[in-house]
Amino acid sequence: MKKLLAITAYIWAIACIIILLAAFIKNDSFAREMARLPFIKLHPVYSGGDQAKIITEPGLETTIYKPVFDRIIGESKVGFVQLKFTSPTDTLPLIINKQIDYNFDNATDFNIEINTTTGETKLKPVNNLVKDINVSSRVKKSWVVRVNVLNPARNK
Amino acid sequence: MKTNPENSFSTTGKIGKSLLLLLPMTLLIFILSTGGKPNFSSQVSLIAFLITFFFFNVLFFMILYKGKVDKYRAVGFILLALFFALTFIVDLISMRGTMTFNNETALACEIPFCHIVTTMIILPVIISGSIIFPGSIIGGFASITSMLVIVIGVMIALGRGFCSWGCFYGGWDDGTSRILRKPVIKKVNPAFRWASFAVLIIVAIMSLLLVGPFYCDWLCPFKTVTEFEKVTSFTVLLKTISFISLFAALVIILPLLTKKRIQCTTFCPMGALCSLSNKINVFDVSIDKEKCNDCMLCTKVCPTMSLEKQDVEKGKPSITCMKCGKCIDSCKRGAINYHIKGTPVGKRLTLARMLFLYPAFTLLVVFTSGTMQQGIVLLVKLFTTGSLLK
Repeated sequence: MKKLLAITAYIWAIACIIILLAAFIKNDSFAREMARLPFIKLHPVYSGGDQAKIITEPGLETTIYKPVFDRIIGESKVGFVQLKFTSPTDTLPLIINKQIDYNFDNATDFNIEINTTTGETKLKPVNNLVKDINVSSRVKKSWVVRVNVLNPARNK
Repeated sequence: MKTNPENSFSTTGKIGKSLLLLLPMTLLIFILSTGGKPNFSSQVSLIAFLITFFFFNVLFFMILYKGKVDKYRAVGFILLALFFALTFIVDLISMRGTMTFNNETALACEIPFCHIVTTMIILPVIISGSIIFPGSIIGGFASITSMLVIVIGVMIALGRGFCSWGCFYGGWDDGTSRILRKPVIKKVNPAFRWASFAVLIIVAIMSLLLVGPFYCDWLCPFKTVTEFEKVTSFTVLLKTISFISLFAALVIILPLLTKKRIQCTTFCPMGALCSLSNKINVFDVSIDKEKCNDCMLCTKVCPTMSLEKQDVEKGKPSITCMKCGKCIDSCKRGAINYHIKGTPVGKRLTLARMLFLYPAFTLLVVFTSGTMQQGIVLLVKLFTTGSLLK
């Protein structure tokens, strides 16, 4: 029994170098397989949440994301709604000025104005749930804004 | 260097046998240094490859020929930390113009995933099925899945050996802990070796509550030598003061004064996680009680306080052992050796040693060879053009 255990241990020790080399040499394929696992996805706080609507206009595409209130357990009182502005020509307009209805109740919730050269971003809340700007930044050829909003379910 | 006959392996002092056992590693060093496809864009990159290739071959040969591990491992390991910091910082400044990351990098989810983040994503993944880090899932530099595959592979293959053979931060306090010949602070309470487990628990829980990588945000000392958040608010200023102070205290001052790897031993949550993986790993370090004369020299030299009197009595270090080999090198009676669990202690020493050294040294080569070549190219550029930037 002791001998069998020792042989198994030596085989396992030899396998360790194969496991180690595989982790590096076949890293791409293992990583691709791992990426398919259901829990290998970014938390909405980082991904910005799911896309809710894309509004296409001449020279500008506006993507409105679903509001994110997710914590790890439960929901937060304050979350954010992400907006992404992209130009089909890769050149964003100097000024982006949009009225946004993020909860799709056919009423404007806030007005946002971005100077894409200076980064200056102005928010005019219309809906009481809209608070302030969380972040506003160029991201590659797009512009991303996150606007802090109150969670209606936790602010009744 | 004289080798104690009681502490010798079948390769010690034997050039032929050492060269023979070096051969498989030479092949691995060549493959891992070139990615299997030698393609040198310039004379400098060819020279950088040759230096790296020669360096690792000499290092492994010396480990075999001299019968010492830690002394030669540390050279490669410290160079890994230095070259990693150099190349990482130069890459960042070339790409972004600064070591700071900004909203754009975070919103684009392009922040490189470092192995320490693993400790912070475990609970959120289990509970919410999602990862709380603004990195790329796949593709790009240091993507989440790519690093997770490496972390899992290394933890299975080497357990906490990762912390002495592959971690690109560990070389910092390993290096500073070797500067003084004798420690200024002679006794550190060995209970501190368990502190990293407390850090792991706190970091995991705080990351869960804050929906963010708490250690990265507030505590990681190695931000000082990699990338950090641009100071735009008082909170970020506090974070910056925190990581610079921790770097100074845990990576420079305390290792220097104690000759212990204080950051790795007491504060690294990844170290704690890797310690747990020592339980499933087949390699450990064993003490042959028949040879041991209880001189306790090993307890004095262990950089992680993993060997205390009670551990020597048990015949093995605690699970916090990083398998650096310092105790093995120090033992004058050859009582301490790498060991394969399930096999008899004190038997087939060279076999157990070689079976550990091949994967461990391979890990060192994998992480170091690329950055070392890149680092040499940068240093040549610095001397010829006066600038490190690309």
